[in-house]
Amino acid sequence: MPVYLDCNATTPVEPSVAALVTRFTQQDFGNAASPIHDYGLFARAAVEHARNLVGKVVEARPDEVIFTSGATESNNMAILGLIEHAHKTKRRHVITSAIEHKAVLEPVEYLERHGFEVDIVRANSDGRFSVEHLAQVLRPDTLLVSTMHVNNETGVLQPLDEVEQLLTGHDALWHVDAAQGYGKELEQLKSKRINMLALSGHKIFAPKGIGALILRKQDGHFPPLQPLMFGGGQEQGLRAGTLPVQLIAAFGEAAKLALRMHAEREEKCIAFRKKVLALLSTLDVEQNGAERWTLPHSINISLPGIASDQAIRALKNVIAISSTSACTSHTQTPSHVLAAMGRSPAQVESSLRLSWCHMTPEVDWDAVATILHNLHKTKT
Amino acid sequence: MDVFKRLEETVNKQFDHGDLPKWLADPALEVARSPQLYQDNEYLVELLLQQVEEYDVYAEAGCCKWAYDHEDVARTLRWLKEGK
Repeated sequence: MPVYLDCNATTPVEPSVAALVTRFTQQDFGNAASPIHDYGLFARAAVEHARNLVGKVVEARPDEVIFTSGATESNNMAILGLIEHAHKTKRRHVITSAIEHKAVLEPVEYLERHGFEVDIVRANSDGRFSVEHLAQVLRPDTLLVSTMHVNNETGVLQPLDEVEQLLTGHDALWHVDAAQGYGKELEQLKSKRINMLALSGHKIFAPKGIGALILRKQDGHFPPLQPLMFGGGQEQGLRAGTLPVQLIAAFGEAAKLALRMHAEREEKCIAFRKKVLALLSTLDVEQNGAERWTLPHSINISLPGIASDQAIRALKNVIAISSTSACTSHTQTPSHVLAAMGRSPAQVESSLRLSWCHMTPEVDWDAVATILHNLHKTKT
Repeated sequence: MDVFKRLEETVNKQFDHGDLPKWLADPALEVARSPQLYQDNEYLVELLLQQVEEYDVYAEAGCCKWAYDHEDVARTLRWLKEGK
């Protein structure tokens, strides 16, 4: 089997996390909404324990954690859930950036089709959205600013500290899509100025199908969201549906490990990165996104003259990699992120994303180098 | 520091300076000082630790609890004894 280098798409599941999924599926399968016997009480205890652990990573209170099916749902809730409030307050101006995930861009496009005014902030060549441009388009009546934490295609950490300064004292709600950086970069998401945070479990070694929306209370009140689903009143009336206890417990365990093992994991990712950079230094490649802002576990490169799918196919027996985000690669659409960064169509079409984690085994880098050198020779 | 040491410290702190009553502190300390008996059930020990850390006599009741009261701690201690 090739070594899996697509951890930005999804991570493997930690063994202790998988053990909890089994436990709460087979043995302790109670419903957290039925705390009238030990089955239900234990399920509820597990959910509240997980809520605490998930919140702790970003210094949020447990009552600020709303469990969802994943970051896509969380992003949709944070953006579309504001429609009623927007109509009431007549504030219908929304800002987001050109390098957001489709789970943000498409709900924002929906708002635009329904009468909202939208400004899309451009990106710089270093892979970060432009805070200067954001400052230019910010208006007194801006309802929502939606920015990502870490880009899923490039691994580039975004300038949230600067956005925090910009938005201090402004009434706009601030939503951050933290799917790719939660549990990996620990400082920026602690900002109390961020009103809403979208999180994903399967990017931090929990299974797919679980995430959260952190809603930071201000003066004791949640951001003015309306639910998108009805029928049960779970999660403080914001997200109806029986809680998947086994996934929630798993997410909690994964969040706990993300905090506890952070330094150790980061060290392993940096060591791995050194090997990747050593290999790349022998090749004709261009990095997409400034190295100084890129998190240790991922890199996006372009191989001039070699199409992404050609490289992926050539490498498929040694490493499993991707060319763009998992959510858009199946559509064969060129990366809107790299295009927004000013990369040429040729650079975009030859881009590759390698992403790894602390569980990634050793790679036969000599084999990778040989294959890529041969591709270069074929090209010339 | 492992979970048992953290539990011992937290129980002592909550007993000396918080509201944790002796009838809960004593059995919780017994768990903390018996890792050989409970090391296979670290998940519940972690849960107990969280409940002791956030022990509140006036914990809210309802669908979601933001603190833990004596019933929660006593129940987790019972689950540990029963080897749940």
